[in-house]
Amino acid sequence: MKKNNYIFKITMYLLIFLLISPLVILVIWSFVRIWPWPNLLPRDYGLRGFKHVLDPSTKSLRVLFLSVGLSSLVTLCTLLISIPAAKALGVYEFRGKGFFKMLILAPIIVPPVAVAMGIHIAFIKLGLANTFLGVVFVHLVPCIPYAVRILTNVFEIIGESMEMQARVLGASPLQTFIKITLPLMAPGLLSAGSLVFIVSLSQYFLTFLIGGGRIITLPMLMFPYIQSGDRMMASTYSIIFIVTALIMLLIMERIVRNYYKEQNYFYI
Amino acid sequence: MLKKFKPYVMLAPVMFIILGIFTMGLALGFFQSLGYFPAVGLKEFTLRYYKEVLTDIGFLDSLKFTLYTSFVSSTLALIIGVLLAYSIFQSKSRKGVLYTIYKLPVIVPHSIAALLVFNVLTQSGILARVLFYLGIISEQTQFPSLIFDQNGIGIIISYLWKGIPFIAMTVYTVLSNINDKLTDAALNLGANRRQVFWKILLPLLMPSILSSYIIIFAFSFGAFEIPYLLGPTSPKLLPVKAYIEYINPDLSHRPYSMVINMVLASYSLILVWFYSKTFKLFSKFDEIS
Repeated sequence: MKKNNYIFKITMYLLIFLLISPLVILVIWSFVRIWPWPNLLPRDYGLRGFKHVLDPSTKSLRVLFLSVGLSSLVTLCTLLISIPAAKALGVYEFRGKGFFKMLILAPIIVPPVAVAMGIHIAFIKLGLANTFLGVVFVHLVPCIPYAVRILTNVFEIIGESMEMQARVLGASPLQTFIKITLPLMAPGLLSAGSLVFIVSLSQYFLTFLIGGGRIITLPMLMFPYIQSGDRMMASTYSIIFIVTALIMLLIMERIVRNYYKEQNYFYI
Repeated sequence: MLKKFKPYVMLAPVMFIILGIFTMGLALGFFQSLGYFPAVGLKEFTLRYYKEVLTDIGFLDSLKFTLYTSFVSSTLALIIGVLLAYSIFQSKSRKGVLYTIYKLPVIVPHSIAALLVFNVLTQSGILARVLFYLGIISEQTQFPSLIFDQNGIGIIISYLWKGIPFIAMTVYTVLSNINDKLTDAALNLGANRRQVFWKILLPLLMPSILSSYIIIFAFSFGAFEIPYLLGPTSPKLLPVKAYIEYINPDLSHRPYSMVINMVLASYSLILVWFYSKTFKLFSKFDEIS
């Protein structure tokens, strides 16, 4: 028994080390000035990468804000339209439910490459190609399945009985939604929102094709540096990407938690 | 009567996007793959492009290479991910940073995963430097090229880096929700730990393992970023090949790229079907437990 535990611990630490150490190397690379072969550690450190990104004349900061704004908007839209859909799938029984569920989940599995190239021509005709709005629309496709999947689980658990009680006691549908449904689903909303935000922020191909080079997001700035093997700049952008994502997740958690606190009297 | 339509009304906004962009995109791609592309004057339906693409040796090589990288990467991710989840589960002290830090790769996009592998595995990467330091190699060129290679090592390792934590997370969640009484009862009745794993835990985990396996399999089959950044010039992975046909200035090449897309899509639709089957299996298990 003891010996077994030992093996599991070693396996665990080894695997976690293998997963995390590349990230440590990424952090080191973003602060490198000179790191010649075959040195194990950089010869000199510097902040050239970060200076480049934070320099107002390189528009990197604008791209950063645009990316965060775009993904926030996508997250908001996705949640807004996914809540009613998830409630329908989680609470009600109706004809064709299985079919709808499968169709909504399909974009997780069907390659976005195929969808984007197919829809591109229609977007051009509708004037949506190369526009911010067009990119928001096309980002909704990979985001919806995740949101609906998580929120459907939430609605399956919370059901409709609490809402019914509020309605019977005279609350309006809007009051019921804000005071009952929303606090009940807050944790689910948080995890759906976080996931959707990350999915949207990570998109490269969809933004690149539908945005047509006009709408530039963080992954698009990063790509050429990775391709040309400029490890320092690529690593700097990656660190900025990861830190931005983490900050946004923290903010979302704060918002939901504050909301929870205000509404906490419901649980007493 | 109104009540009957309520669910459909609630589904309408989501379906507007799914049908309007997702389904429509696939349908438009399908028409173009059949040679119907009025924008450049192609108006006749034909199977010519399918015939040409499906018998092209370059395409078949790409198809084989794509199947190989996605199969190897997702299968390895599955095995190692389950192993990681089980070893975290077994080492009793489950709190602390180390036990959540493994989830970090889940929020890192695939393009960054490609960069990480690039940093480690190129001939001037960290691994080569460590080997040099240990005296195993004496110059850069002795390190095998693991990036842009014909064996897809760089691609496979990037997908592993993303896939292992994803599988481990899913499996660990299910694992920690399985009632301890089941394992205790089995242990009491004289089963050893290995038997408990193979006969109790694994069958209970199977549905979620299978559905997350299908997700990463399908993803690595159709994703663009990693093969575009780390793949060899030949054979190209299918999504990259489709894109290269797509950006060809000669628009009459479009149908070829759409045929490749249809191959990608139909393959994954088969996987969606599997996916829904495993969900049915899952609900069956729920009834039993």
